[in-house]
Amino acid sequence: MDILSDLWLGAQTAFSVWNLLYCLLGVFLGTAIGVLPGLGPTATIAMLLPVTFGLPPETALIMLAGIFYGAQYGGSTTAILVNLPGESSSVVTALDGYQMARNGQAGTALATAAIGSFAAGTVATVLIAFFAPALSAVALTFGPHEYFSLMVLGLVASIVLASGSLLHAVGMVLFGLILGLIGTDINSGEMRFTFGRFELADGISFVIVAMGVFGLGEILSNLENEQGRSVTLSKVTGLMPTRADLKRMVAPVTRGTLIGSVLGILPGGGAMLASFAAYALEKKSSKTPERFGKGAIEGVAAPEAANNAGAQTSFIPMLTLGIPSNPVMALMIGALIMQGIQPGPSVIEEQPVLFWGLIVSMWVGNLMLLVLNLPLIGLWVKMISIPYGFLFPAIVAFCAIGVYSLNNATFDIWLMAGFGFAGYLLRKLDCEPAPLLLGFVLGPMLEEHLRRSMLVSRGDATTFFTRPISAILLLLAVLLIVSILAPAVRQKREEAFTDED
Amino acid sequence: MRNVVIGALGLAAVLCTPAVAQDYPAKPVTVIVPFAPGGASDTIGRLTTQIMQPDFATPLVVENKPGANGAVGAAQLARAKPDGYTIMAASIGTFGINPALQPDLQYDPREDLEMLTIAVRTPNVLVTRPDLEANTVEELVAELKAEPDTMLFASSGVGSSDHLTAELFWQQTGTTGIHVPYKGGGPAQTDLMGGHADASFQNLGAIAAFVKDGKMKMLAVAADERSPEFPDVPTFKELGIEGMTVYSWQAFAAPKGLPAEVKATLVEDITTALKTPQMEEQMAKMGFEVLANTPAEADAFVADEIARWGEVIKAGNITPEN
Repeated sequence: MDILSDLWLGAQTAFSVWNLLYCLLGVFLGTAIGVLPGLGPTATIAMLLPVTFGLPPETALIMLAGIFYGAQYGGSTTAILVNLPGESSSVVTALDGYQMARNGQAGTALATAAIGSFAAGTVATVLIAFFAPALSAVALTFGPHEYFSLMVLGLVASIVLASGSLLHAVGMVLFGLILGLIGTDINSGEMRFTFGRFELADGISFVIVAMGVFGLGEILSNLENEQGRSVTLSKVTGLMPTRADLKRMVAPVTRGTLIGSVLGILPGGGAMLASFAAYALEKKSSKTPERFGKGAIEGVAAPEAANNAGAQTSFIPMLTLGIPSNPVMALMIGALIMQGIQPGPSVIEEQPVLFWGLIVSMWVGNLMLLVLNLPLIGLWVKMISIPYGFLFPAIVAFCAIGVYSLNNATFDIWLMAGFGFAGYLLRKLDCEPAPLLLGFVLGPMLEEHLRRSMLVSRGDATTFFTRPISAILLLLAVLLIVSILAPAVRQKREEAFTDED
Repeated sequence: MRNVVIGALGLAAVLCTPAVAQDYPAKPVTVIVPFAPGGASDTIGRLTTQIMQPDFATPLVVENKPGANGAVGAAQLARAKPDGYTIMAASIGTFGINPALQPDLQYDPREDLEMLTIAVRTPNVLVTRPDLEANTVEELVAELKAEPDTMLFASSGVGSSDHLTAELFWQQTGTTGIHVPYKGGGPAQTDLMGGHADASFQNLGAIAAFVKDGKMKMLAVAADERSPEFPDVPTFKELGIEGMTVYSWQAFAAPKGLPAEVKATLVEDITTALKTPQMEEQMAKMGFEVLANTPAEADAFVADEIARWGEVIKAGNITPEN
């Protein structure tokens, strides 16, 4: 058994005292920056990069990887507790996680996220160990056509995220798409909707929109209704999931892990789709879809599992092809190059200690996160019982710091304030912000891949249907639209009939 | 109490005194990097300042100011006081291409900035997908001539150095192709390996490993001499294609009007750091060659680059504003 001896080599590396310490340091730092809204792993890793030159390559990578998945984990804590998703993946977690917190189940939600992430991380580690080289070949077959069709499917799925009016959800998706148009057009280099401001040339950062619309918008509407909030938070029940809760988690976590693992290996933005593809699937396949958006445990378990699995499998194209699937992976490649290692197909054979050590350390790191965070849940839950008059200024301050740290620009803070006000208005109008954010995230990718496909196929749109993977994805999108519209149409007809009676 | 007040006043007086050259540096120096953390400019800025720091009296603080291909950070540098406390590390795009590409830019490197040194450079190379029929530049040109406007040239964006190199290549060989822009070099390289694009001009350091692994074919180097890493790959000059010497480069600059002594100190410290064996070794791993030339050479070089790319942009009718 080759793979066993490889894993044994990996275990020897990952369990050396120094590597364990650096792994712990990485996940601890990662959790800390993940919990602080806006401070992302990208900036942290970039700043720590020069420090890692003195470390052996596997130790450096183990620590940096720890920061990455630690931050993913920490990000869901803030999303659940104060409705502040710092990354696109935790938007979905905020939907039901924050509602669970409002229902007094913050502890359960946090524990669900931790356990779901750990289970997914374990499965993804095994997947990487066994199938990494084979999976990386799949990643390369995805060209612009396939990515376009995948984004179409994602956009349709984003409508499922809304728990209220269908029309409002579609409107919000469109609003998000329009916001996504701001910035430099890739194909012509022309600046669109920037009002001549170079600050907008690269578009609006996701973090600014998310923190404004979700975080500040929520704070504004809470302040209007202070009493309502303190009442809902007074009854904190059980910190840990009950046996029944755990049982309900198993299937969603399994499905989430599968979706996340598959999407994670696609370097062109697949991992970004993982969490809400998982959420959409749970909601569509659930017998009680009306519970989603109101604190369904499945709505936390599935996306968290998908998110973590995707984060981990996104290492596959990085390690085996040298392709970065997100900015963090690009930094990892930078770190490896600085160490004199060129990521690529030969890494597994030439650097077995690094490759297998990193894989085993991912599992170790996930275990550390679980051990580190389960006892902390009690502390986190106490945090939201802090009087709101003290809590909200702190949240606003951290948001401002986080947003400023993105580009070191005060302009971005003003922008966030503007989006906060917009978020408040949208709440008043019963428009949910989640579809808006997904339209905003997916829109630019949709446009980019569409226009590139048209360039590559010289304006021939039929290629979307003649390429098999693309055709299947589009077919799935159509089926999903039908399944969304059918109940709505039926309901309308029933209403029409009752009116006649 | 009185002593404290006097002390404070004295300190304030020291801090308020205009920077006299002999006192330089008296406070921290901000090094603007007009790109996100992790890119080449960021890495070179951080590495250089890290090596400079032990011998530099005050902290060197790297500040990322990304946006508009470096234009946001460069505009801030142009507005800064020329006292040596704000300098910038940026790329060919910021110094050599933006001024030719964007007419409403808020800085002009020739008017508002002075170059300290061109720090490092790496040649652009012509790579293709692994299964392309053409194995030499000659075959590629023949194919481009036989079927004009069909071959897909991937680049890291409109107005990027690799886009303009492709444009220059078409102009010098009398051929045409389709330009397919991506968001950065990574995705362009990915699609080239996956066979979704046909050819591209990329930095040597970025694709060396892919070529060695057979994931891409490398047809020619846009440098004066062959790369020691790939002794079998010819230069464009050898192939009789003129004007195809293209490097991507990184440089340090300051606002115009720097006091001579301050400038001398900065240039001396930066170039010394660049020439350390540690720096040269790290740069070699990234495919970069340390240049560290004089400010006069750097100023002349930047003016040449702006003029050169301006012509390519005009001839290729690349105007983002239309």
